[in-house]
Amino acid sequence: MVDITLTVNGVTRTGSVEARKTLADFLRDDLDLTGTHVGCEHGVCGACTVIVDDREVRSCLMLAVQAAGSQVTTIEGLAHDGGLGPLQQAMWDSHSFQCGFCTPGFVMQATAFLAAHPEADEQQIREALSGNICRCTGYQSIIDGVLLAAQRTRQG
Amino acid sequence: MKLPYLEYAAPADVTEALGLLGELQDEASVLAGGQSLIPLLALRLARPALLIDINGLRELSRLSLTDGWLAIGAMTREYVAEESLAVAESVPLLAAALPLIGHEAIRSRGTIGGSLAHADPAAELPAVALALDAEFVVRSRDGDRIIPAVEWFDGYLATSRRPDELLVEVRFPTARPGTGVAFLEVARRHGDFAIVGLAASLTLTGGQITDARLAFAGVSDIPVRAAEAENLLVGERPSRNLFEEAAVRATARLNPPADLHGSAEYRKKVAATLVRRGLQAAADNADERS
Amino acid sequence: MPEIVAERYTGASIKRSEDPRILTGTGRYVDDIKLPGMLHAAFVRSPLAHARVLSVDVSAARALPGVVAAYTGADLEAMTVPGPDVLMALMGAPGPSPEFTLLATDKVRFVGDPVAMVVAADRYFAEDGCDLVEVEYDDLPPVANAAFALDPSSPPLFANLGDNIARPHSRSEFGDVPATFAQADRVMEFHIDVHRHQNVPMEGRGCVASYDSDLGVMTVYAATQSVHVSKIAVAMRLGMEHDQVRVLAGDIGGSFGLKIGASREELAAAAASRALGRPVKWVEDRGENLTASGQAREESFDVRAAVSNDGDLLGLDVKVVIDTGAYPGMGTMVPGIMQEMLPGPYKLAALGFESTAAITNKASYVAYRGPWASETFVRERVIDLMAKDLGIDPVELRLRNAAERTDPPASMITGRPLVGVTTRESLERVAQLVDIPAFRRRQAEGREQGRYLGIGVATFIEAAPGPRSPEGPSGPMGTESMRLRLEEDGMVVLFTGQMPHGQSHQTTLAQIAADEFGVPFEQVRVVVGDTAVVPFGLTGGSRSATMTGGVALHGARQLKVKVLDFASQLMEASAMDLQITDGNVWVRGDPASAIPVSEIAQQAASGQFGADVDANLEVQASFDGGEGGWSGGTHCAIVDVDIETGLVKVERYVAVEDCGALINPAVVEGQIRGGVAQGIGAVLLERSAYDQDGNYQSATFMDYLLPTASDIPRIEVDHLQTVPLDADVNFRGVGEGGMIVAPPTLVNAIEDALAPFGVRIREQHLPPARILELIDAANAT
Repeated sequence: MVDITLTVNGVTRTGSVEARKTLADFLRDDLDLTGTHVGCEHGVCGACTVIVDDREVRSCLMLAVQAAGSQVTTIEGLAHDGGLGPLQQAMWDSHSFQCGFCTPGFVMQATAFLAAHPEADEQQIREALSGNICRCTGYQSIIDGVLLAAQRTRQG
Repeated sequence: MKLPYLEYAAPADVTEALGLLGELQDEASVLAGGQSLIPLLALRLARPALLIDINGLRELSRLSLTDGWLAIGAMTREYVAEESLAVAESVPLLAAALPLIGHEAIRSRGTIGGSLAHADPAAELPAVALALDAEFVVRSRDGDRIIPAVEWFDGYLATSRRPDELLVEVRFPTARPGTGVAFLEVARRHGDFAIVGLAASLTLTGGQITDARLAFAGVSDIPVRAAEAENLLVGERPSRNLFEEAAVRATARLNPPADLHGSAEYRKKVAATLVRRGLQAAADNADERS
Repeated sequence: MPEIVAERYTGASIKRSEDPRILTGTGRYVDDIKLPGMLHAAFVRSPLAHARVLSVDVSAARALPGVVAAYTGADLEAMTVPGPDVLMALMGAPGPSPEFTLLATDKVRFVGDPVAMVVAADRYFAEDGCDLVEVEYDDLPPVANAAFALDPSSPPLFANLGDNIARPHSRSEFGDVPATFAQADRVMEFHIDVHRHQNVPMEGRGCVASYDSDLGVMTVYAATQSVHVSKIAVAMRLGMEHDQVRVLAGDIGGSFGLKIGASREELAAAAASRALGRPVKWVEDRGENLTASGQAREESFDVRAAVSNDGDLLGLDVKVVIDTGAYPGMGTMVPGIMQEMLPGPYKLAALGFESTAAITNKASYVAYRGPWASETFVRERVIDLMAKDLGIDPVELRLRNAAERTDPPASMITGRPLVGVTTRESLERVAQLVDIPAFRRRQAEGREQGRYLGIGVATFIEAAPGPRSPEGPSGPMGTESMRLRLEEDGMVVLFTGQMPHGQSHQTTLAQIAADEFGVPFEQVRVVVGDTAVVPFGLTGGSRSATMTGGVALHGARQLKVKVLDFASQLMEASAMDLQITDGNVWVRGDPASAIPVSEIAQQAASGQFGADVDANLEVQASFDGGEGGWSGGTHCAIVDVDIETGLVKVERYVAVEDCGALINPAVVEGQIRGGVAQGIGAVLLERSAYDQDGNYQSATFMDYLLPTASDIPRIEVDHLQTVPLDADVNFRGVGEGGMIVAPPTLVNAIEDALAPFGVRIREQHLPPARILELIDAANAT
């Protein structure tokens, strides 16, 4: 077992993990942060996307031990004053999701992407989200949510 | 789909890593970005006795430009190279290929050295390295060796790296003035491994092709250089007919594998299409850049 | 942005009440459940398609630290009550009943068939244990396709059946089939293949089973489309009384037909929990999901069409063979629905229909969004092939053959009346929206430049719920129940057996009840997912809009009557003079008299009323579907085919739909778009591939390709004004239509793009390599 300390959603967390444990499993099982979902465990579906040191990563393709010393943000860390963050609000307004299983991954991927590309157009957003799979929506409502959030941010 | 039990080491420097590699040889796996290795572990297709995590080796993530070579530390993340002005200006073919690797989240962790050491024949970077005659710097307790790209790829997911060696740096020759590039691929979906990919580079001097480089991804168990087509192109002026003929020469002797995503015949056809389109795109790019 | 203020909630795109939890990661899916002492199960699965199991040795697994138990197939049989697949038994599946064990015992029948189960402290250890289980197999010849399965020389998968036929061959005729074909100007013949593909919800199957040995009660936290069906399955297999089993479900990460009842693995987890006295979690990983959860379609059709020279489709004669995979299930029931639906909205005079279902060494056939959908694929493909041969525009041809809306309505030759069907309107609307002549000009210009654009339309109807049967007293889809209650805090609570897994019922049912009862939307709560409190029900078959929407409407109305009756005593006014708006009861014309419904409910609960006053503000409602009605519509796709790579880009997609009165347009459009995306995926990307030895080839997301945001275009949705049939309930189902009609729409468009090469398409799956093969084959002839 390896002892690790990291910052998750602004809070210092510690754990003792087997080296083989993925960051996704550590967040869910050890820290009870079950908002991060595990959809394929081989890095294709994007459901487990979290932000590590300002970059989006697949938490199923990173070991928990590798996150030691990092700043990790999960879906649970996006709320503003206990309410929804601006992207979450825009996605609610846009009826972005259905079953909700892919949602955390899309929200985290879109959060990271919009932070780096606030002016992105629909085509760029589609490409940036094309590593996340949603089986319910046909994507349009998700794209619309991201576009709405970007537009609101630009308008201040 | 959980990783098997494994011992783990995160060496503090390259010397320590080389010590471990020297000791365990091919019992150990080197963990770079992990975007290919961790899925293999999760599927329990890889079961190393020791995982040597080199993500802490900052010394392996330097970029430096000297004497017509861009040297890229093996642990340089793909997104860092993608955003690098030095890469864009000095090795445009590499810059063209980087955005096609997986998706944003994959490039956050994935590394230049990791992809080249994994040597998936359908991946983008192996074709780029082969097309450009990149050099691979490997290090062991015995010192450094430099391996030319043509000798690096040694079969499906295999390289000429010895088990005690660590890939520490990859050197790409910088593009000469008048060079235009294109990386084209046909994939089932955006971000997937290519069914067939093509790295193309043309250098034009006074309207004449003075250097031509073509390498395929996805047509064999290693990336494949199209030397006959390159020879045909050099000394000629770009034209539709020339590119057609180059496509024929480039693909005549290909014997691609078949899989779920495409038959051998399909791959061969697409390879020819990509040569035609890739050469035209590279020629157009040369015009734009000049 | 201002909140949507609606005169009525019903009909407005009210924001979903499910979203605040799912957007913040506080939804609760089955894998999020953690109970004290909980163990984790994993399964050893067969690497072979067909083999005898000679021995299973779990001793090394049992000895591994962290492993608590390891079971063989024989162990599980001893721990449970033998019997058939409960779901099949409940649904009255036709055909013989094969042996059904939770784990393979004497034989494995497909790659992925569970052979042993390991229960451990966590999933990592459980999988370590699986690695140590030694299974000795003796290979048998694989029955890798239906054709071999139907050959008497094929080795039977199930000894008690003697052959590999899951549903014996049968033939039915409607109308005068021989005369219709004899009179036809032409008889066209086609062989049409639909490939195997599968549900792939983003969350796999799974459960946490927790047995309380003191109480003798089994609690199962499930991912299911029906908690009650799961409960029955668990009770039967474990030999428990129904009241000893409680099934609960929270958020469910999609299903599309996959999660009905309790699967073999879930039943095994429940048996293990009882044996060990500890909670056991099994959550399917993606490899298991793709390999073993089940697959759908894979039907092959031989079609004869009787056609007149001026474009009348007079009759069809269709033979279908279904590859049901290893453990016969839904595949044995699909032919009956296909037969009934095959005429679609067209004026066919005759239909012959033959079917056979074969058992093969593949994962079992399961329900997948519009399980009978291939009848629409075949019919809409035949119409386009006809149009090409006759030189008639495909939209024209459809309009010519679609039944007109008459009184009394025309009926399908197979029986059901086409009441209220708006096929013709949807075809005309599509033609209007798309401007087909303008497209044809653009197409011609494109072809001159080597660009191959194509347009395709297809139309469908869906019995969601279907018209009221003229014969019987029961409605089109049985009955739906609901319990409704006014709580002391003023909340109107709906207890429904629906088990939403993306359908937004907690929003849509609340909209209907809020309007009907007279409270704000936020004052309605929809309770789902607990067999202890919800009535029997199942989410599936596009039935909930009508059936549950209807029972919510009528139930809220009943509850309102009851509340007003009670309030009339309190307020000393006639119930006739009372009304409820905005959560207040008041005497008509006297706003000052308003009393919040919460106060009414508190008074009712106070116990100060005598036995002559009914103060129990709760009702049990049921609804039989009313007059029912059809859903349907016409879709149109425009594609751009790269003839050098075979890549297909869907440039535009238009869906004209009639699903009756919309409860929540955004929810309806989400259902349509999601279904269309799955249909596009089926044609361009998705295939459950087996090799000739029955080895599964699509066990990862690198091989089973789901469409992404780069593959699916904007999908324009246009709603037709519907024909109301019922006085109150004209909401119709919309869950399956997109998936039913998108495949023929897209294939028709691709064939149109390739028309200059003379390509004719008789299959559904068109990956890029296949597109080039079709062009080459057409060029060669």
